[in-house]
Amino acid sequence: MSLFLQRTFDSLANGSAYAALAVAISMVFRSTGVLNLAQGQLAMFSTYIALVLATGPSPYMKFSSNTDLIGAAWPVWAAILGAIAISMVIGAFTERVIIRPISDNPVAAVGATLGLYLLLGAFVRKQWGGRTMFLGSPFPQTAEDRWDIGGARLWHDSVGITLTMIAVLGLLAVLQRRTKAGLAFRAVTSNRTGSLLVGIRVSRVLMFGWALAAGIGALAGGLIAGEINVRPDMMGRLLVFGLAAATLGGLRSPVLAFVGGYLFAFLETMLGGYVSFVDSQVTLVWALLVLIIVLFVRPSGLMPRTEAWQQK
Amino acid sequence: MATEMTTQASSRFGVKRLAWIIGSAIFVGLCLRVAFAATPKIVTDLSNVIALSLAFAGLVVLTHYLGLLSLGQGAFVGVGAYAALHVVNDFGAPVLWMPLAGLIAGTLVGAVVAIPSLRLPKAYLALLTLSLGVAFPIILKQVDGNLPVTLDGEFIAPSWTGIAENDEHIWELFLVAAYASIAIFLVQGLLRGPIGRAFIASRDQPEAARAFGIPVYRLRLFGVALSGGMAGLAGGLLMVPTNFNDYTHFPEELSIKMFALAMAFGGSRLISAVPGALVLIFLPVWLIDRNWVVEYGWVGFVKSEGFIYAALLLATAYLTKGRGFMSLFESRAPKPTLKPSNRRVTSVVRGLVELDTQLGELEGLVAKQSDSRSREETND
Repeated sequence: MSLFLQRTFDSLANGSAYAALAVAISMVFRSTGVLNLAQGQLAMFSTYIALVLATGPSPYMKFSSNTDLIGAAWPVWAAILGAIAISMVIGAFTERVIIRPISDNPVAAVGATLGLYLLLGAFVRKQWGGRTMFLGSPFPQTAEDRWDIGGARLWHDSVGITLTMIAVLGLLAVLQRRTKAGLAFRAVTSNRTGSLLVGIRVSRVLMFGWALAAGIGALAGGLIAGEINVRPDMMGRLLVFGLAAATLGGLRSPVLAFVGGYLFAFLETMLGGYVSFVDSQVTLVWALLVLIIVLFVRPSGLMPRTEAWQQK
Repeated sequence: MATEMTTQASSRFGVKRLAWIIGSAIFVGLCLRVAFAATPKIVTDLSNVIALSLAFAGLVVLTHYLGLLSLGQGAFVGVGAYAALHVVNDFGAPVLWMPLAGLIAGTLVGAVVAIPSLRLPKAYLALLTLSLGVAFPIILKQVDGNLPVTLDGEFIAPSWTGIAENDEHIWELFLVAAYASIAIFLVQGLLRGPIGRAFIASRDQPEAARAFGIPVYRLRLFGVALSGGMAGLAGGLLMVPTNFNDYTHFPEELSIKMFALAMAFGGSRLISAVPGALVLIFLPVWLIDRNWVVEYGWVGFVKSEGFIYAALLLATAYLTKGRGFMSLFESRAPKPTLKPSNRRVTSVVRGLVELDTQLGELEGLVAKQSDSRSREETND
């Protein structure tokens, strides 16, 4: 029982990252119909921004002379907040400059997000190299920072990451339900032409959606960097799980995508822990197989069937 | 009028066919010249280009005929390569069967991915294939281990070919070219027939296609399986000159680069697959030759493969609206209205046109008669 509990606790941090990426992907897909395949790379890039802010001028960085403007190293939490702000600007810029001119053509839009994917990967590899770097966690991470529950260890940073993500989702829900911007976002996702007719500035709302998604991705990257460290391919695996989780949510429901993220992390940990022939390296594959089976049996994922068929 | 148009069309078709035959003969002559004169490295690279052209052609079918996105074409190629090697190593099949094993494996995996994802909106296929692209190297590493798997067999040219024993790369090039030509010929025939037209109908007007009795879901499933099969065959053919395989051959970037190139160069014709394969094979060689890969900072970034591919993708998205640069060179001249390929239809249309002409003449006669009659009445 304690082993099961331990594995459940272990899945929390990864689950938060998957959930955050899944929420970001479904937010963009829901509002624009574009599958943002660069979401993971955007998160990776913002993690590097957080790293630069947290490290300050460093001789190990290729562009160390540019960090003089930042001054002394920032605390990790401040660096992550700074990276979120910068990422939101990048997200809005991406929507305005890259996506909007071709938004009427889904193939071109997906191609553009893939272009961004390659561009960010190439930039990071050429500026920072391919080696692993350490950002650290904004939450206490020493060996003593834990609670012992039922013989299992619950680490403070896992709880901190999970609670942060739940708080962010709560804030997002409040933003969508209680503010004018949220109402406009909901209107645009529901009926774009109708929104235009009632005077909502659709393009601005979409830009806001992209900025918000980039911010959530940056948060995911910054928080998970304390667990998996920073390197150019850090988001490949997370992106696949994020996409799979978003699929479970029918690609349109941030709440179900969030739940899907934790479900996948739980599944990944349990498969790796209890099934003897599933190596921890290939849990990704088994999770994908599960996803295919789920789509076979229930194509709408966790979403009610009627809503899923309406999307076709 | 109709007879004239049909004669014109058939003479144009004859000229086109003759041009094709001459062009193909020149191409084959050039290939033979290169095969026997070039270095083994260039010949092997050309074999790889021919093999990968098939995988790109599969992407062209999927993207430009069906309007679907596959971001895991590299993984399908990998599946084919894996199946091709293991069918010889584990089951003792003859080496000439390798590409067929790749074809079958690619088709099966394509179908397995397509069955669940095509029941939902189109984005799901992109999503599942991307996931497959990321997962494939991990699976291969788990199954085959870290070390490369080498082929337990070799390609020896028959004596009648006159190819020397240590020139096996020439025989391998011929084998790859033969398999690829047959595959392209069959697929081209398929796309020119009713299936190709049904593909386009299901891409442009799925609802109308359903109303006309086209089974859109099954057709798309067939398209994805066909594309997967072509990529699998490409994987099997890649193993002919390469003879070994490991998990580093098919990273996720390969699928994304293939998609980028298919999008950039892919027009509505299968021939547009060739430039993509050429760039994929020769761009890294070109970059290494110029020592660009070791440069860092902003200059290194602009000279990197990732930047070049990203620029290509973004330029394609903006300048051609995702249709690809080859589409800019495709003729947009309006086709003659009377060009049915079926003989019976031609005769029916010709008969109808003649009937229409006769009716017109009859109407003229009747009008003339009634006119003269009314004139007579007026005179009376």
